Amino acid sequence: MNAAAIWALIQKDARLYFANRLFALVTVLGLVAYAAIYFLLPATVDETLKVGLVISEMPPALAEALDDDAVVVQQFASVTDLRAAVAAGEVTVGFAFPPDLFDQLRQGARPTVELLLAPEVTPDFVSVYEAAARELSFNLTGQALPVTISEVILGPDLAGAQIAPRQRMLPLFAVLVLMVECLGLASLIAAEVEQGTIRALLVTPLTMRGLFVAKSLFGSLFAFAQAVVLLAVTGGLAQAAFLNLTALLIGSVLMTGVAFLIASLGRDLMSVMGWGMLALLIMALPTFTVLIPGLAANWIRLIPTHYLVDTIYRTLNFGAGWAEVGSNLLPLAASALLLLALGMAILQRRFA
Amino acid sequence: MPEPAIVAEDLTYRYGDLLAVDHISFTVAPGEILGFLGPNGAGKSTTVKMLTGQLRPASGRALLLGIDVARHPKQVQARIGVCFEQPNLYEELSGVDNLRLFANLFNVRDVDINALLRRVGLDGRGADLVGRYSKGMKQRLMIARALVHRPAILFLDEPTEGLDPTSAEAIRRVMLEEQQRGATIFLTTHDMYEADRLCHRVAFINSGKIVALDTPHNLKQQYGKRMVRAEVVGSDGKLLTREIILDRPETPTEIADLLAHQQVVTLHSEEATLEDIFIRLTGRGLA
Repeated sequence: MNAAAIWALIQKDARLYFANRLFALVTVLGLVAYAAIYFLLPATVDETLKVGLVISEMPPALAEALDDDAVVVQQFASVTDLRAAVAAGEVTVGFAFPPDLFDQLRQGARPTVELLLAPEVTPDFVSVYEAAARELSFNLTGQALPVTISEVILGPDLAGAQIAPRQRMLPLFAVLVLMVECLGLASLIAAEVEQGTIRALLVTPLTMRGLFVAKSLFGSLFAFAQAVVLLAVTGGLAQAAFLNLTALLIGSVLMTGVAFLIASLGRDLMSVMGWGMLALLIMALPTFTVLIPGLAANWIRLIPTHYLVDTIYRTLNFGAGWAEVGSNLLPLAASALLLLALGMAILQRRFA
Repeated sequence: MPEPAIVAEDLTYRYGDLLAVDHISFTVAPGEILGFLGPNGAGKSTTVKMLTGQLRPASGRALLLGIDVARHPKQVQARIGVCFEQPNLYEELSGVDNLRLFANLFNVRDVDINALLRRVGLDGRGADLVGRYSKGMKQRLMIARALVHRPAILFLDEPTEGLDPTSAEAIRRVMLEEQQRGATIFLTTHDMYEADRLCHRVAFINSGKIVALDTPHNLKQQYGKRMVRAEVVGSDGKLLTREIILDRPETPTEIADLLAHQQVVTLHSEEATLEDIFIRLTGRGLA
């Protein structure tokens, strides 16, 4: 294989890539936009629970029950005021105790406590707040249950150290950067087939293998370079840099394989975009399991980007290292090589 | 006797049930220009693809410069230049960048790109994007691309098809220059005038078979009719056309009689064109 020929092809692809205004723009603006969105997103998570109360007098027992750094209590003069505050999102939950609460309790009546919730509160949290209302009512009557609660956190205790939205978004940005390059490479290859330039290349001493090496190097290194820039700018390389760089490099090879597959399916720029969007959707799915915890199902492990996302997410947010996430690299590399080989095989049939 | 530049031995190719090339054999001598003529679908492009290593023959073999094309396509492709019928250049790159890329692919370091552009009449346009070139300019750049490594054999597929006369003439001039340099040229064309003027020999291909292969002169001798066509003034004063077939015993008498007894206005000798011969041999035209 002629190294000068490979280098000439890489230079040619780089020129063609930036000659396409769409991809040039998306590449540059994408990097800037991802970095900008990252820094605009909150760097911390507000862990306090804002509770609104309507109560004629605050008994010491209730004040003691609510005395917690994570709970901010605000008293309101009337139920109407409390309703307005909940509706405006000023407090998360409101408890309105009747003005004659203690009289009713003394008479053995069954007073009604009004629980005010914003519409977006999920049913499981409604149950939690109902339980909290009962517990508070117990406290008001001075009859707290003689039970000691022991808290056991399984996994990292995130109390006071919740993962900020921007940190959750970072793996998504990394996958998006790789995918944009994947679409760019796929459209370059499809254009070569459509315009017949592949035929011209292959009646020279350039071999099919040499052609694929050049395309793979261009696609992988270009995507890798951008992902590295993004992580460097956002501080994503501050922890386990070598591990993350390795994962990103393998991820770039994986996306190059996807690009070959897309190019083998697409006949022109529009069909490449169509197939590319489908691939993007599938490859981006694992990032949603990070954005929305609890969404993960075992089948998500069938999507190779899961291993890339999981590595970046856990190294950045939980200080994971080779011992914890190094095993992710094996399935990631295996799927990258598989997709690359498959893409080359199918594409080769199109070139012939 | 020098070894032929191109040897086709019993070359055959099928597209499914269709026999595109049917056991054809021929040779091309070094420095020869061979015209490969035939209508669309006759098997010209398939033959060229087998000769240039783009297709593997179903049977038979092709030797270029003594090398088996199917076994060593890259060795062959390093020494041939191919100019395709349809422009397949990188339109978002400049003319110079297109040529430089292919010079690198052929591992040629000492090529004078500007001189090459000058040869095909593109001097001063090398820095322009190819997308801004006219069809004729693109075709000339493709010729330059095929010449970037000074190939021993040039394959030119309809190089002047649909071009303006200036571009077509520039390409014909370069072909002759390359032939004088010693290159062998395999020219696929519909243009009978071009084939007659440039080619040492022409091959007629029809339905995958070579139906005739010889010099244009011999083909005309063998299959064509030479004649004299005269315009004479008739008895009513109107112009009449008279044709006298040459190469017959009675021809001299007929010509003498014409000149002695008729008022001749114009007198021209005519010979059959390659197209006439193709139609006579195959029963169909070249279009």
